[in-house]
Amino acid sequence: MSDIIEEMLEEEDTQKGMYMTFKSGREHFGISIKFVNEIIGIQNITAIPESEEYIKGLINLRGKIIPVIDVRLRFKQEPLEYNDRTCIIIIDVQSTVIGLIVEKIEEVVTIQDEDIEPPPKLVHGNAMNKYVWGLGKVGEAVKLLLDPDKLIKDEDLEFMEEAAEEAQAEENAEA
Amino acid sequence: MSQEFNTEGMLDIFLFESGQLLEKLDELVIEKKDAESFESDDINEIFRVMHTIKGSSGIMMFENITKVSHKLEDIFYYIRESKPDNIPHMELVGYVLDVSGFISGELDKIRDGEEPDGDESEIMENLEKFLKTIKHEIQKDEKKEMPPENVYVAPSQFYIPPVSTENSHFYKIHMTYRSDTMMSNIRAYSATYALKEVAEDLLFTPEDILTNEASADVILKDGFKMLLQAQCSKEEILEMIDGSEVEKIDIYECSAKEYQLGFESNDAVIDLTSTVEQIEEKAEKEKKEPKPGDYVIKSKEVGKAKKLAKNEVKPKQTFISINVEKMDQLMDLIGEIVIAEAVVAQNPDLKVPGLDLTNFTKATGQLMKITSDLQEVIMSMRMVPLNPTFQKMNRIVFDSARKLGKEIELVISGENTEVDKNIIENISDPLMHIIRNSVDHGIETKENRMAVGKDPKGVIKLTAKNEGGKVLIVVEDDGQGLNKEKILAKARKNGLINKDIEYSDKEIFQFITLPGFSTKEKVTELSGRGVGMDVVVKNLSNVGGTLEIDSVQGKGSTMTMKIPLTLAIITGIVLKIGSSTFVVETNAVKEFVRVSEGTIIENPTGDTAVRIRDEIMPLVNLGEKYKIEGYQVDPERDVMAVLEHEGKKVCVFISSLIGEQEIVVKPIPDYFKKVQGLSGCTQLGDGSVALILDVGGLI
Repeated sequence: MSDIIEEMLEEEDTQKGMYMTFKSGREHFGISIKFVNEIIGIQNITAIPESEEYIKGLINLRGKIIPVIDVRLRFKQEPLEYNDRTCIIIIDVQSTVIGLIVEKIEEVVTIQDEDIEPPPKLVHGNAMNKYVWGLGKVGEAVKLLLDPDKLIKDEDLEFMEEAAEEAQAEENAEA
Repeated sequence: MSQEFNTEGMLDIFLFESGQLLEKLDELVIEKKDAESFESDDINEIFRVMHTIKGSSGIMMFENITKVSHKLEDIFYYIRESKPDNIPHMELVGYVLDVSGFISGELDKIRDGEEPDGDESEIMENLEKFLKTIKHEIQKDEKKEMPPENVYVAPSQFYIPPVSTENSHFYKIHMTYRSDTMMSNIRAYSATYALKEVAEDLLFTPEDILTNEASADVILKDGFKMLLQAQCSKEEILEMIDGSEVEKIDIYECSAKEYQLGFESNDAVIDLTSTVEQIEEKAEKEKKEPKPGDYVIKSKEVGKAKKLAKNEVKPKQTFISINVEKMDQLMDLIGEIVIAEAVVAQNPDLKVPGLDLTNFTKATGQLMKITSDLQEVIMSMRMVPLNPTFQKMNRIVFDSARKLGKEIELVISGENTEVDKNIIENISDPLMHIIRNSVDHGIETKENRMAVGKDPKGVIKLTAKNEGGKVLIVVEDDGQGLNKEKILAKARKNGLINKDIEYSDKEIFQFITLPGFSTKEKVTELSGRGVGMDVVVKNLSNVGGTLEIDSVQGKGSTMTMKIPLTLAIITGIVLKIGSSTFVVETNAVKEFVRVSEGTIIENPTGDTAVRIRDEIMPLVNLGEKYKIEGYQVDPERDVMAVLEHEGKKVCVFISSLIGEQEIVVKPIPDYFKKVQGLSGCTQLGDGSVALILDVGGLI
């Protein structure tokens, strides 16, 4: 479970336990509204060549150019054509502003801490497992609560480690 | 008024001001280094700089800086007063530079948030010795009377409980700051702060010194007035007030009644209690010079200072310093305006058939004119001359030549060429490196120079000029030049040589810009560690600059730095490849041509080239390279763009041209891995995002 989420939840009581939920494939996901800046409709996206498939490209958000990723593709689900229901959730994780393309926004729900269970070891056996930090029970339904930090980074980790190693090597050369 | 004396802002000012003073000092000293001796103006100037730094570092409690600057001030005080004519000039220049170097080093430490803990004892010792030498010689030769010592009394604090008693005295304090003093309001505040310790009552005017920056001007014009009730003597007050930048401090003791009348009592309020004689007497008294109780900082010599001020007519301050961050913000905003304007002017809602847009077009035309003017102004605001950067090089050449025992002259020209502020920051280090290389490796020792029949004095020429939207900074030395064979041998050793390729001279010289490449066997303090030229090139390429190296063995080398004038706004040609929009810098576009399929050559490895008017150029299929969906090259339909970067050409097919426009370059978010051939992105008039092609990266 991410420390950031806990930390931020404690900071602001009014938003405590509130989650923005959305649908992607058959699953319902939740993301702490702490991270959510705003929700906008689908926009023109400029693709960036040579990037991961799930990174769709860049959009212009009132003069700021921000990257957007497709949550379905991120979870290795079948791609879905964008329609007027498709939304972009703009999230801000540790100053990285990024857009999540989701097929349908649902609602904002409050989930108490005691209704959240850690994910079982093999929830799905697929990619989305590692992005889920908890299972939130809302009535009969279960929302998969996402760790946005892992959602947007993760796979870049290898790349970043490589870069760090390179920098290290450079420093050594200089010294 | 807050009770806490916040030194944060003052620290910034101290760093900024001292940095500037030292820069000025270096410049002056280097300029005069070949002269017989300093002229009296220079001596006054150096004295003044040291005095100011001493004072302000004293307030900020940086003791070693205070000590060193005080010592140097002593020396110049002595020189100024007794005018000895046998000062070893070079030695003195050396000491001044040592001190300036020491203080700069300490300032850097402070800037980085460290403690200024440099050891000043060696410099102090040298200075002391030097001072003794010149004093001694004077005494022996002329038996002149010694001028009074310029004694610096360390600020000490007295604490007297602020209770009004019969022992209380009332003072009127009038401080006049020199007309070029920066932030006089803060200085005035520090004076009030210093007096707070002893004050039973303290009033001052202007009152809003902390909150109102304009009060600085009032203080400069009318002086800073304080009314103080305290138990200490005038001398004690004087000690407490920081004397730096102060031209004059007048302290009057007055009666409790006068004190209550406030600031105006001296001139405006009619004195009803005194007799006519008394009033006359008072007026008489006031006329007298100097006034009783008129305390003047001794070392300052008011008369002299005033005369100096008159001689060099100081223009009214027409410069203000602005935080670069704010400038960047302004720049961004203007970029937004330009785009917003395009959104309005090209709004699709206007494309209704039969709509009369005459007035609209007129209005937008006017708007466009204003925005483009605005843009020009902000651009010109960011342009700063290279002069200060070049002046710094003077110091570097002097220092490193002195260390190596070489005699080198630096000839500077074109220093008024203006470059964007951001770029200047990025070229200072590379330039320093190149100059150091020239001094260290380029110019030979005196003996070697004479052996090959050269002037023992080496010359390094530093030139700046504008050329086609770029600035060229050329460093040319008449040293030994680069040794081609050595470079080739080293390159071979490092496995950089492809045996099948014949290298041109320029290509061979480019090897030295690769990481870990230094032909100098011996590592010196200045250079030769193999990190150098590659860092230079890296720094330059950060701002879109390049380095060209040319050299003739035995005759010297020429390093040419090519840098763009500005970074943020470029004129670009907007074009489409399939459904994707790209922008290419206008300067990089050679031409647009239509070609027939027959001119395209494909070799077995899959590389393509195109022949246009007997010239064969590589062809890059961007549609394929960037996997643009639904795009296939069709030579019948598509236009070919010939792009050029540093003399190399590359061709790409494009599906359509949109037009030319000014664009604001924005970086591609870090979230993406670096894509070869793309240097940034921008938003277009319709709000969509376009990618900027980096022609250099395509080649």
